[in-house]
Amino acid sequence: MSWAAHDLEPYAIQKHMRLKVAFVPLLIGSYSPDMMTKWFVYGIHLGPWDLKASDPAQFHRGWPGFGFTHSLIYGVAIGLIIWKVFGSKLWGVSFIIGQFAHAITDTGDTVGTMLLFPWTFHFHLDAWAYAGQTGRMTDAAAYFSGLGSMWDLVFIVYGLYSWRVLTSAYFDNVIYRADAFWPWLNRLVPRGALVVLYRAAFFYGTSRWIAWTIWAHVIHHYPYDLSWGGPHWVPAAHP
Amino acid sequence: MRLRLSFDRPNRRDLTVFGGYCLAAAVYIAIGVAWIDFLFSFWVGLAYLLLAAWLIPTLVRRLA
Repeated sequence: MSWAAHDLEPYAIQKHMRLKVAFVPLLIGSYSPDMMTKWFVYGIHLGPWDLKASDPAQFHRGWPGFGFTHSLIYGVAIGLIIWKVFGSKLWGVSFIIGQFAHAITDTGDTVGTMLLFPWTFHFHLDAWAYAGQTGRMTDAAAYFSGLGSMWDLVFIVYGLYSWRVLTSAYFDNVIYRADAFWPWLNRLVPRGALVVLYRAAFFYGTSRWIAWTIWAHVIHHYPYDLSWGGPHWVPAAHP
Repeated sequence: MRLRLSFDRPNRRDLTVFGGYCLAAAVYIAIGVAWIDFLFSFWVGLAYLLLAAWLIPTLVRRLA
């Protein structure tokens, strides 16, 4: 799984597609595969109950389980529903692109994704360890010690290099014009706040990447292991 | 033929805006490292950014 790439990739896609995509459904698509499942992977306390998947990797990425949310067909199905319900092809297509980016990025870990579901084969590059089953904190420590965090860093650097995508002029000329959602929201929220909303995922992804890196390596001294499939000090899950 | 990477240089106004976000990020990161739950939610991050990068600067400008 990725901790910041799903926040950052939409800005890289936006840079190249300009008016051909709408940013909000692109971002929702990028978040969508984990929206319903992540809390159950790590588990939560709800009053006297502890709710957690008995096999988090299977639940998150497998079948039976919710692994179909990381397949291409899921993106197409939800995108078509959005197109029909909201009557916006742009929103449907943008959602699909965002969801595809998430599903493909998550093939980078040791569990991978069932990209071609209902074929249940897991595509996995094994570049970094999937450690969701170890709990949120160990997963964070492992992720920010391996190549997954370096993949996130690529998008941080690319976003900063493509800094014009984050400017208010770009927002006015491309983001605002491409999607009727922004003029609608502008009736309720001032334009200055809209620009901040547009930048929020980049801010969140980048700041969180830095904070977790400090937490893992300055506060707790977890060892970096940038070898393929690492870090090897954590038990990686496999399909 | 030589290929050259070109970098579009930001002006003073761009750098001022960037500096404001860096300041907001530094505070967010400091809170997040001290209290890790702060980092978990996108919505908390969004609310924080609206406060730090829009609401507070707007109020300061109006009061000034």
